[in-house]
Amino acid sequence: MKKVKPLVLIVDDNPINIDLLVNTLKNDYRLGIAKNGAKAIEYANKYLPELILLDIMMPEMNGYEVCTRLKAAIKTKDIPVIFITAMSEEGHKTRGFEAGALDYITKPFHAAEVKARVKTHLSLKEARDQEIYIASRIQQALLLGQPPHNIQGIQIAHLTAASQKIDGDFYDFFKHSDLCFDVVVGDVMGKGIPAAILGAALKSHLLRVLNELSFLTNKNNLPEPAQIISSLHKQVIDQIEDLETFATLCYARFDMARYVYSFVDCGHMRTIHFNNDTNNCSLLRGVNMPLGFPEKEPFRQKTVRFKPGDLFVFYSDGITESKNRDGNLYGEKRLVDFVQINAKIEPENLINGIWNDIVAFSESETFDDDVTCVLVKIDKMASYSALPTKSKLEIISDLKELERVRAFAREFCAGVEDYPLDAKRIGMIELAVTEVTVNIIKHAYKSRSGEMIQINAEASADEIEIRFYDRGERFEPKSVPQPVFDGSHEGGFGLHIIAHAVDEVLYSRDDQGKNCTCLKIKL
Amino acid sequence: MELSTEEIGDITVVAVLTEVLDAGNADEFKTGFASILNESNKMVFEMSRVRFVDSSGCGTLLFCQKQLSKLGGNLKLCGVQESVRSLFELVRMDRIIDIFDSKEETIKSFQ
Repeated sequence: MKKVKPLVLIVDDNPINIDLLVNTLKNDYRLGIAKNGAKAIEYANKYLPELILLDIMMPEMNGYEVCTRLKAAIKTKDIPVIFITAMSEEGHKTRGFEAGALDYITKPFHAAEVKARVKTHLSLKEARDQEIYIASRIQQALLLGQPPHNIQGIQIAHLTAASQKIDGDFYDFFKHSDLCFDVVVGDVMGKGIPAAILGAALKSHLLRVLNELSFLTNKNNLPEPAQIISSLHKQVIDQIEDLETFATLCYARFDMARYVYSFVDCGHMRTIHFNNDTNNCSLLRGVNMPLGFPEKEPFRQKTVRFKPGDLFVFYSDGITESKNRDGNLYGEKRLVDFVQINAKIEPENLINGIWNDIVAFSESETFDDDVTCVLVKIDKMASYSALPTKSKLEIISDLKELERVRAFAREFCAGVEDYPLDAKRIGMIELAVTEVTVNIIKHAYKSRSGEMIQINAEASADEIEIRFYDRGERFEPKSVPQPVFDGSHEGGFGLHIIAHAVDEVLYSRDDQGKNCTCLKIKL
Repeated sequence: MELSTEEIGDITVVAVLTEVLDAGNADEFKTGFASILNESNKMVFEMSRVRFVDSSGCGTLLFCQKQLSKLGGNLKLCGVQESVRSLFELVRMDRIIDIFDSKEETIKSFQ
């Protein structure tokens, strides 16, 4: 494939100069021309040239001002600018460099010199772009982990937008069991490949520490976050100190069996904890210094309880320190407010919402710093109590089994600890399970005896589900006529009763011809 | 099905002794009812022992009411437990069959 020639913008108000430059460069580059400062800025924003040759002496907006403006805008700030000047005095050159120029060419210019300087700076830019590319590959491959699957009762969403200067944001997830996992988020100070590599090194040390500690403890007795971070610190402190940098980090554990969040925070951005009950956000901050500071006291761990529907938001300073065109910061408060208002939407939508809000605020999709964000949402629906409340019953298709079905439902409901149901509610549930069982026996199995019905009951934090499985005829709820209440009909009330006795009824049938009737009762 | 009956004037008071009236024993109940049907066309079911009724149970009571009204009589209920009563209301049965708190009130209502 033929490589597209780099685009060079020539900014000059003098047609003779423009002609000279065009003739010098036209064989090797695509060229854009702007005859004044305003046009130059407009062109640069629209076409993002690879390099700009900028005349200093222009009416209205001079070259210094054009350069200053280009360098102030995130979109155009990395375009190399070479000044063209008739003035060779030191003062003018200095002022040009101060405005952000990389180099200068003095008039009258020599074609060979113009060609050489343009070529050199384009090569340098290409090398920088390549470095950014490598750094972003390092970040994607080594710094950002994938969230665990199959953790009961949570949803995780994550977002990264690597800045043009990679600065070593990282995060990862460590799953210990179906009910317990850790999240680590961190940010290495410094830019570019060194920061990215240090971030990768920290993560690799962290994995080693986890591995070593888990050999020393048994599976039911995981190393505490504080212990993990202390060991990590011991391993990396010398190296980090040598590099004269530091890393902020938050290491957090979600214990879904006990609803406990424990974390060690080392100077990282304050984690947002949205409390579903109170509809409020609190900000979780630790007391430890970043890694790389000499350790003065042991790392301290904090613990917070959470509940179904709660949400945790981890993020990097790339979010809170993104700027708008007036130079104002996005800030922690705006993020917290946004989370608070939108905490109840799906995590994936929420994280997209956060992204869109930052983009709207900064009017840009590229940022000075990496933007990373991890959301951990505690499900409202899932079952994850310490002793999952589950029970099973198998009956044969005989109406004499009805009392067993009711006793099963009654005892199960009475055993739901957190939200005891009153007698009336349990009575309604007994009614519903009776009606469902009778329908299965009479209609699905057409009153044949000796067929099986399996009943599974399960309680989660906020609802009970009772499922009935049978292998009888398919049931179409829509085929059932509306009940008649004038005393002329003795039957046809079953579905009406079920619909009123529980909060939701779902019918389904799988490929193998197994029917499922699912009753949901909200707690 | 055990139905203990007591005659008060021309009214038959039936003590329903089962705790449950559901699809499992509805036919049995109807048979038991048929065997006492000839005695009277005015009946009171005393329901205080009945803890649980399902839609088949409701159907059974509506069946009994229909049979009695064919004979020019009527079925009334008394002593209905609260959970059973809320089911009757759910299927609007309280509009078809009169329900009273006590046996005495029910008997009085026939006069």
